[in-house]
Amino acid sequence: MELCDHSGYELSFFLREKKISAQEIVESCLARVANVDGRPGSVDSGEMTLDDTQKVHSFISITAEMARDQAKKIDQKLANGENVGSLAGIPFTTKDIFCVKDTYSTAASRIIANFKAPYTATPVARMLEQDAIMIGKVNLDEFTFGSSNESSAFQPSTRNPWDTTRVPGGSSGGSAASVSAAEATLSLGTDTAGSIRQPAAFCGVVGVKPTYGRVSRYGLIAFASSLDCPGPLARNVTDAAMMLQAIAGADRHDSTAANVAVPDYVGFLDQGVKGLRIGLSPDYFQIVYMDAVSGEMIRHPVSDEIKATVYHAAEVLKEMGAEIIEDVPLPNMRYGIPAFFVISRVEAASNLHRFDGVKYGYRTPQTLSDLNEMYRKTRNEGFGLQPKLRILMGMYVSAAQYSEQYYNRALKVRAMIRHDFDQVFDQKGKYRLNAILTPTTPSTAFPMGDVYGDTVLMQYADQFTVPANHAGIPGISLPGGIAADGLPLGIQLLGSDFSEADLFRIGRAFEEGTQTEAWRSLKPQVLRAGV
Amino acid sequence: MTDYEAVIGLETHIQLNTITKIFCSCKADSWEQEPNTNICPVCTGMPGVLPVLNEVAVKKGVLLAHAMHSEIRNVSYFDRKNYFYPDLPKGYQISQYDMAFGDGGYLDLPMPQGYTRRISITKLHLEEDAGKTKNVGNRRMIDFNRCGVPLVEMVTGPDLRSADEAAQYLIRLRQLLRWLGVSEADMEKGHLRCDANVSIRPVGSDQLFTKTEIKNVNSIDNVRSAIEHEVERQIREVSSGNRIHAWTLDWDDDKKELKKMRSKETEADYRYFREPDLLPLHLSDEWLQETFTDFPELPLNRKKRFIEDYQLPDYDADLLTTERNLSDYFETAVKAYGGDPKKVSNYLMNEILRMLNEGGKTAEQLRLTPIFLAEILKMVDNGKINTSTGKNLLSKVEETGLAPTVIVENEGLGLVSDDSAIRAVVEKVIANSSKEVDAYRAGKETLIGWFTGQVMREMRGKADPKLAQEILKELLKR
Repeated sequence: MELCDHSGYELSFFLREKKISAQEIVESCLARVANVDGRPGSVDSGEMTLDDTQKVHSFISITAEMARDQAKKIDQKLANGENVGSLAGIPFTTKDIFCVKDTYSTAASRIIANFKAPYTATPVARMLEQDAIMIGKVNLDEFTFGSSNESSAFQPSTRNPWDTTRVPGGSSGGSAASVSAAEATLSLGTDTAGSIRQPAAFCGVVGVKPTYGRVSRYGLIAFASSLDCPGPLARNVTDAAMMLQAIAGADRHDSTAANVAVPDYVGFLDQGVKGLRIGLSPDYFQIVYMDAVSGEMIRHPVSDEIKATVYHAAEVLKEMGAEIIEDVPLPNMRYGIPAFFVISRVEAASNLHRFDGVKYGYRTPQTLSDLNEMYRKTRNEGFGLQPKLRILMGMYVSAAQYSEQYYNRALKVRAMIRHDFDQVFDQKGKYRLNAILTPTTPSTAFPMGDVYGDTVLMQYADQFTVPANHAGIPGISLPGGIAADGLPLGIQLLGSDFSEADLFRIGRAFEEGTQTEAWRSLKPQVLRAGV
Repeated sequence: MTDYEAVIGLETHIQLNTITKIFCSCKADSWEQEPNTNICPVCTGMPGVLPVLNEVAVKKGVLLAHAMHSEIRNVSYFDRKNYFYPDLPKGYQISQYDMAFGDGGYLDLPMPQGYTRRISITKLHLEEDAGKTKNVGNRRMIDFNRCGVPLVEMVTGPDLRSADEAAQYLIRLRQLLRWLGVSEADMEKGHLRCDANVSIRPVGSDQLFTKTEIKNVNSIDNVRSAIEHEVERQIREVSSGNRIHAWTLDWDDDKKELKKMRSKETEADYRYFREPDLLPLHLSDEWLQETFTDFPELPLNRKKRFIEDYQLPDYDADLLTTERNLSDYFETAVKAYGGDPKKVSNYLMNEILRMLNEGGKTAEQLRLTPIFLAEILKMVDNGKINTSTGKNLLSKVEETGLAPTVIVENEGLGLVSDDSAIRAVVEKVIANSSKEVDAYRAGKETLIGWFTGQVMREMRGKADPKLAQEILKELLKR
């Protein structure tokens, strides 16, 4: 076990006890990166090699010098007996959708591949203020538009550390993979439809989508502004709680960041689950989608393995004192994906307007006298397939003659989904739930290339995660077991607004209740001896 | 031949005079600053930035809306107006669309001819300004300094019937904006911008005909000329059997003529949707009440009151209410003086206005306070000083900042009302003017004026003229 394999709270403890130095932590992470990561993603990647297919490729840029400088400063502070932050010495990666001053902030897109941000995103700044150490910026689906990382303009795209023929999930695939392979202890991701929770599930780590507005979006290159949530990825609940503690809270740069006090998440962790009411909903054990040809709604139950994993988790929590309530109805969840399709694309198309070749980023090298021609060429050459599809769809459904039929209707669906959750979390209502327990995803990590290209099918990977984004409520994905194919399975807990402390508490209890289970000792493929 | 009338609506953009921009902390005013020196990641639309609403801009907008009799919505929304232009860095403008903070409204516009026209307001909302594009040769230069400057867009109904009415509307709007202190309202500097929608129709018709839009007019006079030109052109076209096309026209200030910019037969689709980066704008009744606590009496109301309360002529009342400071000055002076308000008005319209113009000052900046002015008027009234000393005192007070009584004391400007002092001079004048004395005594009594002048000259104007004349008459009788 290397230093980088330790949990964040252990590292922080060792560091304060002066058993290790921050510089040692950084070198340990960089060594791990050198071992497992392979070459970082780039826009001119050339041919894929056999070696490429066996590496993780979490990173777009490794900020080794910045990390070493920062570690040196922290060590100095400790040597001088000065106070250090709550995340002192804990290494993290940042999804490359966040601006960090003086680093390339690419959104995994050619169109801003050369963009160096002049400022730092609030959640990153808050990590740094608490003396967490940034190791680098990690890969994602282009502009976060995807669930597999394959759409990144920076290739090779990230691979799943549990099986490098599989996708890591997405869009925070680099985040999940880097934490899973212990290239870093924490990662800052974003979740718009499941982009933290789904890759966390695929890579066997903890992923938290906080309440909308819990964490400032300032500096996050927007996908769908009304749905985007920055949040932590970590290898255990405690680390995730520590990280959320650091990044949550109001921000004068983001008026949608809620002015709600941040509770002591870590302090609440070990309070157990006695008396908490946890629901199971049949609507989360099937995926429902419309057949493209017949238009019929097709119901497809999740695999027995996935169902069994969730029921097993319920059993564990029940034994620890939670009350399990079955058959909780959440009938509008099935409309989450279609509504997301519309809302997210309208916002995305608008958010992508600014990438026009005028101010920063890519501009077509051709000299053109016609302005519109410059726009068209720049955007055609700079954007990959996913942004283009989203712009087309977004423009279409927000056009004056269609917006009532699509956009406004989707907003109504969104309100209905929110209403479903309000009903079951209502503490005076019939269900009075503290949390809902679901599978995170309808499958384990799929093979690379299997789904990519079918944008609609890809989107259904988010069916269980997207309702929380519509409703604005928090969700957390926890490793729940290992499937027969050797890949991690995720379970998800959803709660009411600002109930992250409860979700952490349940998550921590689940960790305790399962710590002796065999799957807990399994390691990702890339970390197994002899690989 | 058919008689036509003009149907005009004005679309104004009003730059609010806040300290900072509407969504970031850059200075709002970049006048005479080098291009792209008053910018930040937020107003230049860097990836990842978010707008944060400036509450002062909201407050100023709300004051204006209130003055325009607009209903203020307790909840309004910001929307994105999506379009591509190089000086629009985000590719959308944050504006308000279907649920703006102001709902409806009107301005009753008094015309110099004596009638009043009610101009309805159809749109009143807050938005951010875009940058400026300048073409240099075949290069397009963009200055982002102006991006994010807070604007109120205010659009009138098609209620104006002549170029004069349009000009008068702008004059009254500018007066109101300055009165409320919400905008510098300087058209040359673009603080107040105006586009005019112009159409004509046969007198008596209530239909709206195809309109043209006149843009880029940077003074009230030019708005008037541009509309006059366009109305004439439209009448000419229609009279010779041509159709009016929905053109956008550009006013060329040098040539004083309109140029066709583009045809605008279809409306652009801006794909408006709610701005997800800003919360709904909640304006509680308490907040509104507090905002309106010190809401001033509006200029047209004050003018009316000046005519009623102080019996001022319309002309005086209008001039004195051009600016809020001046009218406040007037009223304070009148109250402190207690005499004839018209006398105060005369001083203001002549000496004080000249002083303001020459010094480039506003009334509240004068060291010659309204209280001091009232003191001077009182001293003239009760014979402490004469009228010309009074007028001279105005500039002396302004220069020194000293109270008029102090200056009169220090410089001995007070009239001599000491009987014996004047009597001595009168005796001297009579002794030296035997010819005139004879003529007076022979019956040429008009010479009394000449004698008074002599006495005043001897006493360098400081003699109380009434007393001097009395003594003269007494001594000349002998």
